[in-house]
Amino acid sequence: MKKKLFFQSAVTATILSYLLIFVGGLVRVSGSGMGCPDWPKCFGRWIPPLSVDQIPSYIDPTMFNITLAWIEYGNRMLGVLVGISIIVLNILAIYYFRKHFSLLFSSLLSLVIVIAEGLLGALVVSSVLNPFIVSLHMLLALILVSVLSYICIQSFKLFNAEYFAKVEKNNIISRSLIFFWILIIIEILLGTGIRTNIELIAIDNPLLSKGEQLNALSSYKYLHSLLGFGLLFFSIYINYYLRNNSLLLAKQLGYFILAMVALQIFLGELMVFFDLPQLTRLFHTWGSSWLVGVIIILYNCIKNE
Amino acid sequence: MNELNKKLFIAFLLIFSLGMTALFVLREATESKIQSLNVISNVPNFELTNFNGEIFSDNNLNEKITIISFIFTRCEGACPIMSKNFSILQTRFKNSDLVQFVSITVDPEYDSDSILKSFSNQYSNNDNWYFLRGDILDIITLSENGFFLSASLLPGGHSTRFVLVDQKKQIRKFYEGTVDANVMELQNDIVTLINQS
Repeated sequence: MKKKLFFQSAVTATILSYLLIFVGGLVRVSGSGMGCPDWPKCFGRWIPPLSVDQIPSYIDPTMFNITLAWIEYGNRMLGVLVGISIIVLNILAIYYFRKHFSLLFSSLLSLVIVIAEGLLGALVVSSVLNPFIVSLHMLLALILVSVLSYICIQSFKLFNAEYFAKVEKNNIISRSLIFFWILIIIEILLGTGIRTNIELIAIDNPLLSKGEQLNALSSYKYLHSLLGFGLLFFSIYINYYLRNNSLLLAKQLGYFILAMVALQIFLGELMVFFDLPQLTRLFHTWGSSWLVGVIIILYNCIKNE
Repeated sequence: MNELNKKLFIAFLLIFSLGMTALFVLREATESKIQSLNVISNVPNFELTNFNGEIFSDNNLNEKITIISFIFTRCEGACPIMSKNFSILQTRFKNSDLVQFVSITVDPEYDSDSILKSFSNQYSNNDNWYFLRGDILDIITLSENGFFLSASLLPGGHSTRFVLVDQKKQIRKFYEGTVDANVMELQNDIVTLINQS
């Protein structure tokens, strides 16, 4: 019972964190990052103003755009919700799993990360959206969902021990998955690098079109595409090894990874050839965060304990 | 429908609605940025001179996107920051002949043509930044009535705002000239105006 409760709490925190990554991406893509010029309040208020009259005199009203303020504040409010869900997770972990070192430690780690992530959010605002800090803010969120995904699968295994007991262990596939995860992280860093540099180029050269900005990037942008196709073949290989696995969940996760990598390539090429439409960018980023978490879940499903 | 298909269907539905919501939010954000650039009023007629003694009037704003500031050269607080920001914007828009910059001195008695010229050499790196002077009473009227910017206790009490004026001599928006976030917003708005023309 308590194991199940902890698992549900972990799943809640994970789902909320994934939503948070989506909303955070929405803030970046819609250009709402400076919607609230101060932090943690918005125009000096805990609830963003609904009209210009509500702005305190020390803040310049020309900054005020109600839509952008609420988009930015939505990200912060959801962030608070994630924080609360992780605090609940930690209370349960301390209460029930004091002796279960890996669960307790990873829960505490998620708490540290989520606090750091909030503070980094403050830095994003005070740096006026420095592209490096914005990207760091996103990368830390990926680490958060990685840790939370780990907690989810480990706590799930606690009350489904017999289901996982019959799984045949395979060191090749386990090692491949670690390698795959590292490659995904490298791929994300490359993608983030492209985004960061496009934004830096756009700041200094506001007149360049999206296509010209992309052309102004050095050739490592091709590395991102190249590695993307490499990952596609890698995920086919992993599915090949999983084909006879008795664990249905493992096979399903394998299919998911393959489909997701293919979708990512499709979305990525769509962005290059259609002038980076915002919604594509959003789902491209979000999809990568799903891959990071799902690989961790799959790895822990079939690893040798 | 079996259990898995049902779950997949729900997942698909959730992601689809998430996408639709995002699309709506993105459209609203774009819309709000365009709306924040709504016309505020028209620039009134004025006639000042640049440091070469040539007349610069409101007619010089036609067909140009103009960013206007009020400064004076002896000012040590805001003006160097404001002028530095003008200089940065000037560099970033050097490839557009649509954009021009105007700085009007609020201390015309001290800021002679030669002083304005050496100030220009210090900050400007192109010939599309005009430093203007004229009768102090005209300048006060222009600041207060033309651009809605306070001009009391001059020269120290001038406004630190930038004014964005479009190709039809219409005031579109104000920006705090010393705040980086505001200057970045001005940059984005200039791009919007260029793209609209």
